[in-house]
Amino acid sequence: MSLAWAFYFSTVLVYLGVNMIACWGLNLQYGYTGILNFAYIIFVSAGAYTAAILTLGPKTDGSFQQYVFGMNLPFPLPIIAGGVVGGLLSALVGIIGLRRLRSDYQAMVFLVISLIATTVVTNDVGLFNGPAGLSVVPKPLDTVVNLSLINYQWFYVGVTAVICLIVYWFVRRITNSPLGRSMRAVRDHEQAAAALGKNVAAIRMRAFVIGGVIAGVSGAVLVSFISAWSPGGWLYQETFVLFTAIIVGGTANNAGAALGALLVPVLFLESTRFLPPIGRPGLIDALQWVAVGALALIFLWFWPRGVLPERRRVIRLSTPSGPAAAAEPASADQSTGGK
Amino acid sequence: MAQTPALLSVDHLRKSYGGVHAVDGVSFDVGEGRITGLIGPNGAGKSTVLGMVAGAIGPTGGSILLNGVEIAGWPSYKVARQGVGRTFQQSGDFSRMTVMENLLTAKPGQRGDSLRGALLGKRYWRAEEEMLLARATDLVRRFDMAGMVNELGGSLSGGQRRLLEIMRALMSEPKFLLLDEPMAGVNPALGERIGDYLLELRDAGLSMMLVEHEMSIVEKLCDPIIVMAQGQILSRGTMSEIRGDQRVIDAYLNG
Repeated sequence: MSLAWAFYFSTVLVYLGVNMIACWGLNLQYGYTGILNFAYIIFVSAGAYTAAILTLGPKTDGSFQQYVFGMNLPFPLPIIAGGVVGGLLSALVGIIGLRRLRSDYQAMVFLVISLIATTVVTNDVGLFNGPAGLSVVPKPLDTVVNLSLINYQWFYVGVTAVICLIVYWFVRRITNSPLGRSMRAVRDHEQAAAALGKNVAAIRMRAFVIGGVIAGVSGAVLVSFISAWSPGGWLYQETFVLFTAIIVGGTANNAGAALGALLVPVLFLESTRFLPPIGRPGLIDALQWVAVGALALIFLWFWPRGVLPERRRVIRLSTPSGPAAAAEPASADQSTGGK
Repeated sequence: MAQTPALLSVDHLRKSYGGVHAVDGVSFDVGEGRITGLIGPNGAGKSTVLGMVAGAIGPTGGSILLNGVEIAGWPSYKVARQGVGRTFQQSGDFSRMTVMENLLTAKPGQRGDSLRGALLGKRYWRAEEEMLLARATDLVRRFDMAGMVNELGGSLSGGQRRLLEIMRALMSEPKFLLLDEPMAGVNPALGERIGDYLLELRDAGLSMMLVEHEMSIVEKLCDPIIVMAQGQILSRGTMSEIRGDQRVIDAYLNG
């Protein structure tokens, strides 16, 4: 493998990991709990900006970029802080958007919040350096491991993989528990869940905040790798790429969300890079959004459950006299992957 | 009618939508160990009363005492945690979950139903899960649904959904069960069976309130019966007492 290809593949692998993390968080909100969080990307972005300003160090007068609250924290604190800020921002947005509104109105509120967030960050230059964004964010452990550029690339692939495993373990514990079942109950029939004593607002809020933490972690992992973050990278359309990913991969299935992360943001969007240039410059980029939208529509029409559908948790009843069998999920159409 | 201690005591309950008085000053008591029928023509306000008792609809005024505790205006989940189960007029199943999962979901406050409990893992909540599974297994056998446990809620017939909802409400061992037209859209044979189950439950001591507009069902199951029309109570008593009430006859003929 030539050096250029090694760079490319390692970069794509980090992108894949970041997208998988983001898709698991969104899947928890949308696939399991039924929340149409059209602002998801702003929580990714909150994590990214947080990790960036916590590694860039205190701002000096001679600095070419402006930002608030600069610190120089060691890895993995900036990534953890990214998750915390993603969760806190989710709690705030959740209080505004989640509590009293029906889900279709919630979706509109979230979309508007996403637009407002981009506008504010673009125009308030003092916050995160405005439209130019933050750059030269130091890479985590770069000076500690002291590797060549390409070896650092592979090192970071490993870091991303470890964080992926941690997030996957966390999400799976939730989705396989009675809490995950309550989330799906809220998704399927809100009033019936409430009539069974489920505090619907609290369950939604919990899924929303946990999803926000995961979103923040994904943004923090990405910014630590690419060293730059600007409003152009988190337009509201990016949320729909992630929605398309979990719709294609399979909603309410963690393996499906991971597969969707591979198929849509990585394979589908990366493949356009290899198209011959056609039309005006930027035409292919613009058409990407159209293509992603069309992909989502095609799946919603013809294959709404995705490539790896939500699995049916089958149980076998015990014989009438004996004790009941444990509710082990059957493995017939189960696909877990990973751990 | 012999007086039993009041489990539920509703007093001057009102619900207005704009200028429309859907429920207009309704007062009644529900005794323990009985199936109280709430009947009346379409639009009488029966389901609104039931919704207010269950906490799904906030009352405009009045009081609802459950075992002496004021629950008017409480949210559904709090009312449910006081031991009130309910079924829905339209289907209330969790459509993308299996029949068994529908049942296992039903108990409030499960160990694994918190973030901490979920993260602690299966070892932390397995024992309770197995207990619930045993209870659910008993229920599906009693209601002849054992063959359906792995079917998705959304794939059941109308009658099976009614049974599922009743079983699900029973999972949390309620003290009081609110049933909103449990026989609507169900074939007569299954409707009869549902009726027999309800009588069994009553004999086992469960108190119920049944909303229905089909007189024949109510006659078989309910005592006492409350008749509503246009948001108010027209009459109450046993079936024979109600049959003799000219206001009831008028309401049904005009309704």
